[in-house]
Amino acid sequence: MSWDDKRPMSPHLQVYKLPLTAKLSILHRATGAVLFMGLLLMVWVLAAGASGATTWQSMHGFLSSWFGKLTLFGFTFSLYYHFCNGIRHLFWDIGKGLDLEGAHKSGIAVIAAAIILTVLTWLIT
Amino acid sequence: MAEFKLPVNSIVKIGKTFSATNNNAGEKPKNTRKFIVYRYDPASGENPRTDTFEVDMDNCGPMVLDGLLKIKDELDSSVALRRSCREGICGSCAMNIDGGNTLACTKAIADIEGDIKIYPLPHQPVIKDLVSDLTHFYEQYASVEPWMKNDAEVEPDKERLQTVEEREKLDGLYECILCACCSTSCPSYWWNSDKYLGPAALLNSYRWIADSRDQASEARLDDLEDPFKLYRCHTIMNCTEACPKGLNPAKVIAKIKSKMIKRKMK
Repeated sequence: MSWDDKRPMSPHLQVYKLPLTAKLSILHRATGAVLFMGLLLMVWVLAAGASGATTWQSMHGFLSSWFGKLTLFGFTFSLYYHFCNGIRHLFWDIGKGLDLEGAHKSGIAVIAAAIILTVLTWLIT
Repeated sequence: MAEFKLPVNSIVKIGKTFSATNNNAGEKPKNTRKFIVYRYDPASGENPRTDTFEVDMDNCGPMVLDGLLKIKDELDSSVALRRSCREGICGSCAMNIDGGNTLACTKAIADIEGDIKIYPLPHQPVIKDLVSDLTHFYEQYASVEPWMKNDAEVEPDKERLQTVEEREKLDGLYECILCACCSTSCPSYWWNSDKYLGPAALLNSYRWIADSRDQASEARLDDLEDPFKLYRCHTIMNCTEACPKGLNPAKVIAKIKSKMIKRKMK
């Protein structure tokens, strides 16, 4: 929304102490964006596989580097967080867990689940 | 597209500092706290600023509003704010205190750690100091047509009766005092208030949708069936966190969404 008022706009993000629910909402949006980027990564992996050994090797080389692994780690966390928080949203959609206490508890549960699943995935693979 | 930064004319500068006045015994007060208050003077043409006021806590009422009125009485009478009932029922003194929207009259100073930072309700045009322009907010409230619609003829001396259960459906809805704490706490409302109705207007729409005496529920839902008016709510829950009356607009909005789906499945 553009600001064409001559009067000042009162501060918002600059002064608001965002509650946990709001921070997790931002994280949901951010991980959603990461998943979109991750899809491009998946396309790259598939395309590299289809275009022969040398392209596959260079793709594999990148993903095996520390930076590539960090990217995949971030993608794994994003996938699990977005998935778990999506389930939280489904509960909200049927009207469950929308009181402040419930939303806080489910928020902490979702963060914990995403971290545990991410670590487990990297330990197993 | 969301603008995360403040416009150039809205960037807040550091303003003046006012020391506490001597108490009735003529001594410097020992127990003081700092109130950091947003100031904007429309006559000056200057950017807003934050002034710091040292307030004697030994001679001050318990609530943030008491502190602000003491500042007005003793340190700077030009501080502008809205207030009326001083007991959380009029909704006039809604402002951003210690990083959250609430009523100055029901927020205890003792509940705040460190300096007491006070700003107008967020992301609104500022008229002066803590007084923001809520015209758009009220227009959105009016747009949900918050009155009973019922064409049935009733004798003038008869009431439209409800069962106890029907009346209970209005609990958590009718208590809204339209202070705007919820709507102006909502990031979705900050970025889309031109199209998104915001929690207060939606809660008040549902107050009539849920009323057994109102016959216009379907039309009310039709009006909200829009990508922006209702569905910009992403369950961030700042509204419920902020509501000084302990209401749950986030849950009410979820109920409207649920009604939308249910009537489509009929």
